[in-house]
Amino acid sequence: MSGLIPIVLLSTLILIFSGRLLVQWSRQSHAQVVTIEDYTEARAALDSVFAETAAIKRIFATDDMEFVSQEGVGDVQRFFLKERKRLAIQWVRMTQKQVAHLMDLHLKLASYTYEPSPRAEVKLTVTYLCFILASNGVLILLWLFGPFEAVRVVAYTVRAAEYFCSEVTRRLENIDPVRLGSARQPRSV
Amino acid sequence: MDTNLIWLIVIVLGAAILFRGLRAGLQKRYPFFYCYIECLLLIEVLRFLCLSLTPTLYGAFYWQTELVRIIGSYAVIFEIFKRALRHNPGVARIAQQLLLVVFVVAFSYAASDLLHGGSGSVPRATADLGRYLLYVEGAVLFVMLWLFGHYRISFGGNLLGLTVGYSFVVALDVVNLAFLSTPGNESSIGLRKFIPITHLLTFIIWCASLWSSQPDPVPPAESAIDRDYTILAAKTKAALAHLSTRVERTLRS
Repeated sequence: MSGLIPIVLLSTLILIFSGRLLVQWSRQSHAQVVTIEDYTEARAALDSVFAETAAIKRIFATDDMEFVSQEGVGDVQRFFLKERKRLAIQWVRMTQKQVAHLMDLHLKLASYTYEPSPRAEVKLTVTYLCFILASNGVLILLWLFGPFEAVRVVAYTVRAAEYFCSEVTRRLENIDPVRLGSARQPRSV
Repeated sequence: MDTNLIWLIVIVLGAAILFRGLRAGLQKRYPFFYCYIECLLLIEVLRFLCLSLTPTLYGAFYWQTELVRIIGSYAVIFEIFKRALRHNPGVARIAQQLLLVVFVVAFSYAASDLLHGGSGSVPRATADLGRYLLYVEGAVLFVMLWLFGHYRISFGGNLLGLTVGYSFVVALDVVNLAFLSTPGNESSIGLRKFIPITHLLTFIIWCASLWSSQPDPVPPAESAIDRDYTILAAKTKAALAHLSTRVERTLRS
């Protein structure tokens, strides 16, 4: 009976992927042929997400929050937090959408190339998946704690990761290879 | 509905597909697929004659014709592969290598299982061989569908219908034969009743999508695309790296 599980799984995957093909077709049916110009436009659109850098930084800046906390009443504070949270989530979602569009165009254009490299494709896919994972993590943090606390958590996580990496590198540099040598020797019987 | 009636409708639909294919000029575009449909119709007629004239031989004859049908269906896979990737030489090359690996692995596994299984009679051995060939076909089809989805390969309406209908029938046949081969499995009896319905649905999909000739997606002009993968990959990689730095800088400030 356990031998049936992979077969049922295979069958289900065939059905899912053929369904995906249908969905893809229904989305593509009105679309034009993808060209390198579309790709350049998508890259420009992705850059434009950061065009108003000062405005984006303002969303996460704590100065306004401190001012509102000192001057404003409870309702104003709540409204301010709600607005900033909405803006921050909108910004992350827009970035996600632009990146997804860029990857979509990349894959379409890659299919026209003469020699796509599976290794490079896997690396790009991993990078993209990491971005999706991280951006969704940020979205959850934004949703749970709001933009100001979320930024603090992100900054703390990044700092902790950096500290961890530098610490591991330092320790690796300090390891004496001569002392490791004995461990590699075969044990005497 | 009566099973015989369902099979009769399937045969009528098959004839309609052949007729419309001839009228719409699709037989020239998908020759292997139409040969497969002709083969299916011929098998159905021969099975009917065998059941009417020599019912005692029907069991063995059924599995022999089933094996022929499964081998014939490999031509449809080849047709889908050839037509879908004709404007995508790079993906076709990757797919060829990947499919060859999948085929060799699945075939070796199936062959070793078949040899060690010790099938008692000739009909049983034929049925087992057909089942394993279907598993291999399922594995190859799955990888192909994944590649089409991953690289967002464009499909015309005709080829899409052909592929979806074919995937549907292969997916359900794989499960059905797997359950059927499991001794004492009650669910296989229930599943057996679904075979005619599965085939009926598949023929409806094929008939609807291949009723008239629909235009294939137009390939982009040579000047509008870059055939060099290295440049494209470098651009995307740079864009993602640039994005990560800017997001990190924004959230850390």
